[in-house]
Amino acid sequence: MESQLYAYGLLAIPLLSAIAIAFFFRRSGAFASGVSVGAAALILAVAGHIIFKVENFEYNVNWIEIGTLNVSFGFLINDLAKLMLFVVAFVGFLVHVFSLGYMKDDPNKARFFGGLSIFMFSMLGLVMASSLITLFIFWELVGFSSYMLIGFYLDKPSAAAASKKAFIVNRVGDFGFLIGIIMVFSMFGTLNLSALSDTFGADASLLEAAGVTTIGLLLFCGTVGKSGQLPLHVWLPDAMEGPTPVSALIHAATMVAAGVFLLCRTGFLMTVDALTVIAWVGVATALFAGFTAVAQRDIKKILAYSTVSQLGYMVAAFGLGSLAAFKGHGDAHGHMGQSVVTGGVAAAMFHLTTHAFFKALLFLGSGSIIHACHHEQDIFKMGGLKSKMPVTFITFTIGVAALTGFPLLAGFFSKDAILAVALESNKAAFYLLVFGAFLTALYMTRLWLITFLGAPKSDNADHARENGLTMTVPLILLAVLSIVGGYASLYPEVVSGVIGGIPHPDSAGHTTILIASLVAVFAGYVVSYFFYGAGAKEDRLEQTFKPLHTILAEKFYFDHVYDWYVAKVQQRVATTLHFTEQIALSGLIIRGTAGFAGLIGIGLKALHVGSIHAYVYWFIGGLALFWALAVGIF
Amino acid sequence: MIGLEHFIGVSSLLFAIGFFGVLLRKNTLVIYMCLELMLNAANLALIAFSRYHGGMGGNVFVFFTITVAAAEVAVGLAIIVALFRKRQTVEVEELNALNN
Repeated sequence: MESQLYAYGLLAIPLLSAIAIAFFFRRSGAFASGVSVGAAALILAVAGHIIFKVENFEYNVNWIEIGTLNVSFGFLINDLAKLMLFVVAFVGFLVHVFSLGYMKDDPNKARFFGGLSIFMFSMLGLVMASSLITLFIFWELVGFSSYMLIGFYLDKPSAAAASKKAFIVNRVGDFGFLIGIIMVFSMFGTLNLSALSDTFGADASLLEAAGVTTIGLLLFCGTVGKSGQLPLHVWLPDAMEGPTPVSALIHAATMVAAGVFLLCRTGFLMTVDALTVIAWVGVATALFAGFTAVAQRDIKKILAYSTVSQLGYMVAAFGLGSLAAFKGHGDAHGHMGQSVVTGGVAAAMFHLTTHAFFKALLFLGSGSIIHACHHEQDIFKMGGLKSKMPVTFITFTIGVAALTGFPLLAGFFSKDAILAVALESNKAAFYLLVFGAFLTALYMTRLWLITFLGAPKSDNADHARENGLTMTVPLILLAVLSIVGGYASLYPEVVSGVIGGIPHPDSAGHTTILIASLVAVFAGYVVSYFFYGAGAKEDRLEQTFKPLHTILAEKFYFDHVYDWYVAKVQQRVATTLHFTEQIALSGLIIRGTAGFAGLIGIGLKALHVGSIHAYVYWFIGGLALFWALAVGIF
Repeated sequence: MIGLEHFIGVSSLLFAIGFFGVLLRKNTLVIYMCLELMLNAANLALIAFSRYHGGMGGNVFVFFTITVAAAEVAVGLAIIVALFRKRQTVEVEELNALNN
């Protein structure tokens, strides 16, 4: 069988499931969930086949041809896509299974599972897309499914507002992305990823051409929007209004990582200037979100900011690692050559993969807690869950340890890879990222201490019980992956193109990284433990450093600034424009022309008196007029 | 001696009667007859001029006019009959559907 048939099949399964649910099973939630989970299992099987049994391939079929514009639909399956496919299919399947338990009593679960299926379709299409334009189409489709699932609780105004915010903020980033795509086409005449890569590989001087830096930064705009980088991160924490499995799948493991995936796919056209901007945006995001997470009370908000922070790490890893590749080349404007996978791409994708495991684990764990605590999300109303929910507790603990970079767990290795590329490329970025690791340990330990230890701080927490197997089994599987996911040698040969690129610093550098990261992480644990204390009832930071806590809890006032901008600046400009439009365009030109014609019509209507005799007079008058014209009186 | 001017005079008189008939009469059928009168006034003038010049051009014109008029009468009368069937009247004042 030909390779592309599997790829088509992979797209068809979730699409058919979504269509079936939308048209036939809207009212039978049980059946819809069965269809959707079945589809997810099939996806996992087919994806597994593609990953292990199908050679890397590229397949294109002409889709639209207008003049020189040639849009092809196709698949580009390489090591990068295979690794991402694995993450999407595997985490997607576990989240589907978890959702069976989590959404058991929801009356609208057919809509939920339909949304999950359409998301799987869009995400798989995005991962396999062979050209920028098809990638963009699926990119928008994941945005749509995200919108649909964030606003799942239709009756909650906050959920509706959050979904709208996510959509609009993403528009800002996608606008830049689209302009970038158009610029790529106008400069290189093709949008096919491998053709572009070959173009750059054949002619290294292309990277110095005017506009290439702009293209790189415009494509990065898409990443900024989708992966929640500064300053467009504001939608991601709000997106936690959606059901928790959605947060785990879309807003932690897969969709938000699509931005990083896009960077890795288009890494060949990034110039030094563009990479520097990308790297520093990533570092700034990692630190900013780390600070913000320290002062949040909502368990999902903490995890959301943690996600933003980790995405910042990935973006920084891509930027710094690719910069290091340029540096290693000696010539600052040299080309990375044919090897598209630099240390940066490898480190970013490695962290993306491990992050998908432990962050999905943490989100599903928080979903398990929220489910057990009757939808209580404030960590200061939990406490004492350690003995009440042992499976959740153990798996969550593994997740926390993996995320913070506890030695020998997944996050430890992937974060070390990032620190390695940072050390090679920029010392300042290295120390800032180490400090970010300290922050990660600080806020995650705070979350863990307050949620699980001490005594229950509310009735809901007091009545919490462990959830059923559909919810605990995914947790256990993800916990296992969070432990072993960091061992690069365990990854199969088929993704070695990516995993093999993970940087291994020399022994001196390795010691520096190891000491720095261990000191940061354990300092985070210790500071958090002694500052907050097990099962704390109040936020001690709030009591002791009130002004600092306010700034952090208000997320550095980003939302306020945007609100002010939208309400006071943009709205006023819009009002002025609207007013001008009403008077000039709508009033004068459109209504004016229509009114003029109308007036003439009213005047001419007076001629129609309805008496045949009058028409005879008009006739004579007309005759006289023509006669006068003919003889030249006028 | 009856000269050209007499024929022109009769023709003008006939034309004026027809013209004012069209302008002033109320019955469509009568208006139609007045139209025919004007045509015949023109025919008379053409014949008279033809005779005066001694050529046959005017006579030929008259033949054409009569032919066309015959066809026109057939159509016109048919319209009036159809109008009557539809509106039960041929009075001009009541045929004012085009008013405004």
